[in-house]
Amino acid sequence: MTNVARHPASFKDPAGFIFEANGKIYRQVNKIYGHQYQYLMDSGLYDQLTKNNQLIQHTRVNENLTGDEEWLLTLLPEQLSFISYPYEWCFDQLKDAALHTLSVLRTSLDKGMILKDATPFNIQYINGKPLFIDTLSFDRYDETQPWVAYRQFCETFLFPLYLEHYLKIDCIKWLSNYIHGIPVEVTAKLLPWKSKWSLGVRLHVLLQNNIRRRKTSHSVQPVFSKKKLLNLVTHLESIIRPLSSGYPTVSTWSNYYDETILGKEYLNQKEIILKKFLGTITYKSVLDLGANDGYFSQLLAKNSKMVLAIDSDSRCINNLYQLLKREQLTNIVPLIIDFSNPSPAIGFSNTERSSFGQRVKADLVLALALIHHLVISKNIPLPDLAEYFAGMAPQLIIEFVPKEDEKVKQLLSGRADVFTYDVNSFEAHFSRYYTVQAKELIPGTNRILYCLVRK
Amino acid sequence: MIINTILLYVDPGSGSYLVQVIIAAVLGALFYFKNIWWQIKAFFTRKKEQPPKNDTTND
Repeated sequence: MTNVARHPASFKDPAGFIFEANGKIYRQVNKIYGHQYQYLMDSGLYDQLTKNNQLIQHTRVNENLTGDEEWLLTLLPEQLSFISYPYEWCFDQLKDAALHTLSVLRTSLDKGMILKDATPFNIQYINGKPLFIDTLSFDRYDETQPWVAYRQFCETFLFPLYLEHYLKIDCIKWLSNYIHGIPVEVTAKLLPWKSKWSLGVRLHVLLQNNIRRRKTSHSVQPVFSKKKLLNLVTHLESIIRPLSSGYPTVSTWSNYYDETILGKEYLNQKEIILKKFLGTITYKSVLDLGANDGYFSQLLAKNSKMVLAIDSDSRCINNLYQLLKREQLTNIVPLIIDFSNPSPAIGFSNTERSSFGQRVKADLVLALALIHHLVISKNIPLPDLAEYFAGMAPQLIIEFVPKEDEKVKQLLSGRADVFTYDVNSFEAHFSRYYTVQAKELIPGTNRILYCLVRK
Repeated sequence: MIINTILLYVDPGSGSYLVQVIIAAVLGALFYFKNIWWQIKAFFTRKKEQPPKNDTTND
């Protein structure tokens, strides 16, 4: 390989790899995968999956861009503007990704192919729906063999879903530690006693854990059949479909706007000012921090290509995902991300999965009713916040909530006020990086909305 | 069929094939009994619906 570098996450599969050249993402197909690629295209599987928006589309480029000896083909896949990772998804996003993977597997089996891997990293949310993005995951199907990716499917999809369903706490984010999936022995230990009544748990978790402990030899290959594999797929689908997140009906933030002491009038006034500000700036991509129920994300989505709606509250993001699905609002990507602790760069050499900051490219950041939580609840100093915001996007719409505000008083009650936090210090620190394009007091409150443009 | 094992880069995991064989056997038996149950159920529901039919033919 001479001219270009392989993508740091694309090193496991000898069939090919992803690389970046001339500002575009390409996929190289190696000689070793030639037969499988040809079958994928000739069998009609590629056409069927892409027609149903299940698999990413690609065109062929007749040029060896890497100069690699293993080169057979270069593919130019549909370019994705943002990559999210499964540990940033809510329960229903991982569940839909699991069902999507099984659906792709089912279609593949019909056409004489099988998925040789099954990880949520092969799925991206594009236009509000899961899309399979790894064109080289397909292999010829040998009906006498079980599914090679079964364990991977369990550890990366089924077990996190089971854990969150039964434990009713955010377990999906554990995938950032267990990057290759939550091991069966961990899942078996953590699942509560009542889960053991479930046939799915008995078969896919407990039985699998028992057999793993006995360290069965691979020397005798059991004979399998397509009917048996289809039964397995049907069973996996039937146990995943009824799973639901164990999130409490009401979480810390899920009714924030409904219950806010400032009420609807406050929201209306804020919306009026926000619309006024939006008329004066241009933006295509927006990052909505602390998106909550996504009310303002939806407002911004009307005039932008993509809105990333992030919040640390899994319940809020799950609700928003369901709402977007129902309303078919496809240009909002809801993700569970804590702004005070965003996803780090992880995996091999800390480059396999990049940090949230490395992936996000926005023209505008929206930070409404957030800054007091960052300064007072998370103890992040104002100068650090100003610098961090300025590094994220050239424009910022931010709501300043002063100490006199009821919400801030609640945050400060029962603790020492050690914070240099007032409107003057806010303006002083943020004006180091930004020009104040507009600022307006939200009527009926002492909160101020700022429209800032980076210097 | 020739399966190119080099491409199966994912470790299937210790005992993962055996698990699938056992699960497939359990599911096969379940689906078998489920089918029998549906057949029995269908037989009785058909029987219930049959009398009016017979009545009409007798008429």
